[in-house]
Amino acid sequence: MKNTLVRFRNIIVIAMAVVGPGIITAFADNDAAGVATYSVSASIFGYRMLSILIPITIVLAITQEIGARIAIVAQKGLGDLIRERYGIRVSVLLFAILASVNFFVVVQNVSGIKAGLQLFGMPPVFLPIMTAILFFFIVLAKYPIIERFFFVLIGFYVVYIASAFLAKPDWGLAIRSLGIPQGDISPAFIYTSVAVLGTIVTGWGQFFINSYIKDKHVSVEHLAYSRWEIYIGAVITNIFSFFMMVAVAATLFVNRIHVADAASAALSIQPFAGEFAGTLFGLGLLAAGMLGAIIVPLATAYAFSEFFGYSGSLDETFRKSKLFYGLFLVQIAAATAIVLLPNINLFRITIAANFLNGLVLPVIFYFLWRIANSDSIMGTYKNTRLQNILLVSAGVVITIAAVFGGAGQIFGW
Amino acid sequence: MLYFSELKGKHVKTEQGIRLGRLTDLVFLAAAQPTVTKLVVDGGHNHLYIIPIRYIIKLNAVITIMDSFSVEAIAHQELYLGKNLLDQQIIDIRGNKVVRVNDVALQDKPVLTIAGVDIGIIGVLRWFGVDETFGRILRLLGKTITSRFLSWTDIQPLELARGKVVLKKEEKKLSRLMPEDLADHLETMSIRNVTRVLSLMDEELAAEVIESLNITYQQNLFKEFTPERSAILVEHMNPDDAVDILLTLTERRRAAIITNLSQHKNTEISSLLSLSNTPIGGLITPEYFVANPEETAMRIRQRIQGETQDFSSLSYVYIVNAQKQLVGVSSLHELLLAPSDKPLYKFMNPSLVVLHLTTPKTTAIKRMLKYKLETLPVIDDNKHMLGIVTIDDLAESILDKI
Repeated sequence: MKNTLVRFRNIIVIAMAVVGPGIITAFADNDAAGVATYSVSASIFGYRMLSILIPITIVLAITQEIGARIAIVAQKGLGDLIRERYGIRVSVLLFAILASVNFFVVVQNVSGIKAGLQLFGMPPVFLPIMTAILFFFIVLAKYPIIERFFFVLIGFYVVYIASAFLAKPDWGLAIRSLGIPQGDISPAFIYTSVAVLGTIVTGWGQFFINSYIKDKHVSVEHLAYSRWEIYIGAVITNIFSFFMMVAVAATLFVNRIHVADAASAALSIQPFAGEFAGTLFGLGLLAAGMLGAIIVPLATAYAFSEFFGYSGSLDETFRKSKLFYGLFLVQIAAATAIVLLPNINLFRITIAANFLNGLVLPVIFYFLWRIANSDSIMGTYKNTRLQNILLVSAGVVITIAAVFGGAGQIFGW
Repeated sequence: MLYFSELKGKHVKTEQGIRLGRLTDLVFLAAAQPTVTKLVVDGGHNHLYIIPIRYIIKLNAVITIMDSFSVEAIAHQELYLGKNLLDQQIIDIRGNKVVRVNDVALQDKPVLTIAGVDIGIIGVLRWFGVDETFGRILRLLGKTITSRFLSWTDIQPLELARGKVVLKKEEKKLSRLMPEDLADHLETMSIRNVTRVLSLMDEELAAEVIESLNITYQQNLFKEFTPERSAILVEHMNPDDAVDILLTLTERRRAAIITNLSQHKNTEISSLLSLSNTPIGGLITPEYFVANPEETAMRIRQRIQGETQDFSSLSYVYIVNAQKQLVGVSSLHELLLAPSDKPLYKFMNPSLVVLHLTTPKTTAIKRMLKYKLETLPVIDDNKHMLGIVTIDDLAESILDKI
């Protein structure tokens, strides 16, 4: 009996040591851009859209696990490995693309914060104050505190559950839709589904989970724990996504109101589910924006320090990791400035971000695939055939959808 | 200076013009002298040729090798430049990440050797062939950018074999351009060009660079310099090195230089010169610290802080009595452990290991190793201290003979 208790305690201790990367990255994938895509698609396609959640969970879990496994086995980041194996030219190009894609996503998230603030009646002046506070917090706070703050932001996603219940949805239909889409399956529906997948499974997510795990120095013996943490993170994230989409489907879709972004979704929910539900929805958007506005620029900064060998991690002081924090600052400052511009078309930014992500993701998947199948790096921890199939097909599908979708938007097809 | 980025991808042909393939990598000796030993040529279809460097005839836009070349396997102490050094993470002695190896600089005279690694932005741009364009644009904007460069002497060759590029120092202590780098670079130039480059530097840096040059260059340079300029340089140089150079000059020239020295330096150099024909004499350094037996530990610690800032190293405090006779020694460790108010004679070590001018070098080094001492004092028959000999100077002079 005592033995079992001790063993149980040991498991808890190890679990606590590995918890973080999987859950935080998965939730950050549900950033302001994610919330927007879910809201918009659910307002158009209703409960049908829920059928995307299980594929998303699987693809997210599988791809994140590969990135994490590489970091644990090689004790090096994706950027480190690509630089060392493919040289400087590939590294510079890949970083340039990644940094620009990420920047678009940062802009999306900062505009999510702005929209969130507006929902609570705060003028745009608060936005630079907010981002400045975020920056100083990240620079000054110690790493465990930052991690706890991430968990607090994640906690805010609970508001979507409340929103969903206030919307009085058809739970039976919602659950059934999870397995089989209930209704027409039009080309538009398929395209939208893939677009949603592309918003959630991102290039920066791959770099971020990998760097984060590397920073945590998880050892190979604890690989199994990390793996489960990632799977559970993907599942929990998508449970919240489920409630978010249900809230929108039960109100906006049922009443045939189409919205173009998350903030108008929050506003439009109010007449049907009550002001409180809309407020909660807005609060969720604000938290999602903050999570994304911190993590996406961090992913770029991590990638930079890996590719070019500079010291950089949240563990280190500003003095030691000047370039790391500097890069973080430049991104959120520039994004804040762009978002504050009058007449800025955020819809176009969202489309551009999805398009670019679709272009960079297969490249990153290619490197993931090469590295995760390399004997010299991974040894016995190489990808299984199933993992390879899922990785390759997810990459192909997301790319095709993004390229066609993006081209369609650009050329007005 | 050559860069690996410029060499990589060059076509390799034999004298008769038969195309072998492209240069993909170089093989070098992971040692203090990182000589490049072999070329790795990619002949396509998974054919890699590893060709010893001695078969190279010309190294221009195309690399020409002898018709009679043969291939060899990579040896035990050898590493690939591209695979094991380029793009690797550089960490300092404390394990801090510094930067990655962006390019590798090679010197081609007298033999192809790694001079150091490029860690700057220029090193990145060179791979894209836009380094010069970038420099030109910056110049238009009124700015210049210099290459950031780490000398090979800063890298631990042993760690390379373990796949790590580790520096010998802490990051912040690295100055961006080492005098040794300059020396490596200058040794590929004609004496006239070297003189021109040196004249652009301030005396102190020039003296440091000259110290790192090889003796033939040093001798030739001092033949060119006026006695006045030579004297100024000698003032800034490590006395050991200065004496070595002076000894290569004619007696008349040497005397001319010495008369131009300041009073203090004149005595120091003259006495070193007079010692130089004994076995140990040429190795003596006047850089040592003496104290009286009555001085307290605290007082010595303060004096060391104040008086030894110019020293290149300090391991021991030598204690002399009123007759200037050497009576004891204390290591810095003992000094630090001693209570502040304790006088030296209470904790110094009175049993001394010493050298005389006539002590053979091999005996000297054996003594150092036996007693695990880094420096030994040299005394005359009256027990007066003449100077100290450090283990590295001694080892170097013995190695030179082998």
